[in-house]
Amino acid sequence: MSYTTFNVANFDSTKEPMFFGQNVNVARYDKQKYPIFEKLIEKQLSFFWRPEEVDLSNDRKDFIDMPDHEKHIFLSNLKYQTLLDSVQGRSPNVAFLPIVSIPELETWLETWAFSETIHSRSYTHIIRNIVNDPSAIFDEIVTDPEIVKRAQTVTKLYDELINLISVQNVHGYGVHTINNVEYDCTLWNLKCKVYLTMVSVNVLEAIRFYVSFACSFAFAERAIMEGNAKIIKLIARDEALHLTGTQNILNTLASGSDDEEFKAVAVACREEAIALFVEAAEQEKEWAAHLFKDGSMIGLNAQILSEYVEYITNVRLKSVGFEEVFAPRQNPLPWMNAWLSSDNVQVAPQESEISSYLVGQIDNSLEDGDFDDFDF
Amino acid sequence: MSNNKSTVGIARIKVENQTFYYQYEPSLLDSLEAQNIQAPYNCRAGYCGCCKVRLLQGEVRYTDEAMVDLKDEEILTCICVPKTHIEIELPED
Repeated sequence: MSYTTFNVANFDSTKEPMFFGQNVNVARYDKQKYPIFEKLIEKQLSFFWRPEEVDLSNDRKDFIDMPDHEKHIFLSNLKYQTLLDSVQGRSPNVAFLPIVSIPELETWLETWAFSETIHSRSYTHIIRNIVNDPSAIFDEIVTDPEIVKRAQTVTKLYDELINLISVQNVHGYGVHTINNVEYDCTLWNLKCKVYLTMVSVNVLEAIRFYVSFACSFAFAERAIMEGNAKIIKLIARDEALHLTGTQNILNTLASGSDDEEFKAVAVACREEAIALFVEAAEQEKEWAAHLFKDGSMIGLNAQILSEYVEYITNVRLKSVGFEEVFAPRQNPLPWMNAWLSSDNVQVAPQESEISSYLVGQIDNSLEDGDFDDFDF
Repeated sequence: MSNNKSTVGIARIKVENQTFYYQYEPSLLDSLEAQNIQAPYNCRAGYCGCCKVRLLQGEVRYTDEAMVDLKDEEILTCICVPKTHIEIELPED
């Protein structure tokens, strides 16, 4: 079955599985199989923000005054964040949209990827504000071996899935040999790839990003680079939603309530899935060593950051029903919580991005007796 | 210990071996923090799931919609307040 942008078949989308059912036709949200995605979309929309709202003029001064090893920490971290959001701004769309079968999930994927493009724009805003030549920083993202190494692991599963879906789209389900390369496009293998890709996305959003947030916030804990931290706080607020989304998809798939076969897929892929978490944690620890190779900064060093990697990996593993892989420990960076809390994102209440500020909430109905208990 | 819906007066909150009265804080999480009880949290808006605790007894009223999967006995402290006397259990770490 080839992908169609508007499936003319008449079917009930609430009876479709999340993936590999019918292609979506009408983008309708009046009845939903999974209202959670609709809630995530609404929350994400209420979070809308623009990087230009944050003034970074003090950050420029702070950056110039930093010692070289701190500049290295700050810029490497920013380059890594830029890489992660470059991937996330497009990949959920390219990988999952051709196979999704539920309108609210399809729209969530698009809303999610769109918010990542705002994050990418904010890195340009930050880099433009703190250095004279932004190109030098951006160009290094594809030449810095430490970053390139990371790029390969975060994109590997995405690319494999995208390739298989492309082949399946042309040749249908089954094992195909094209130019002496074998493509296993059986439904089972495709489902395994979807599950593992979703795990890898969850690892990216829930572990890799949080390690980078820790570095950004560590600067602001010392009252420097505070504009940058404000932007990262807004990004972190979005990321928390995205990881709720991927955790939800993973848990629903693994439960088998959406598609019975996915339950078996989750069991079969369990070891591989846990290995993805472990691999990411080890890489993040190596990354911590790379960041602090020329010296630590007050409040954060390779050791503490590595402890945080282990702590956050355990938390994320438990959220998707896996056992902890590292020794249980308390959060070594308790101050992170204050930065990750969304109600501390300070906005004027009349601005629509405050999540608790709702428009159209006035009660317009007025009954005859509504003022009876009024005394003048 | 009352499990009664129509609790008279101010709700009592029991956590491990500590019991205190709900002081009308905006959320159960705030009540815990007011007592210097280290309760987990992140987003404080019902979507990250970090503040999940087990409700052993009593009932809570949600002030916002939860966006994470919750088992029957689990509650999100950041978006609920006690409706009756309650007893909760914090996660181990």
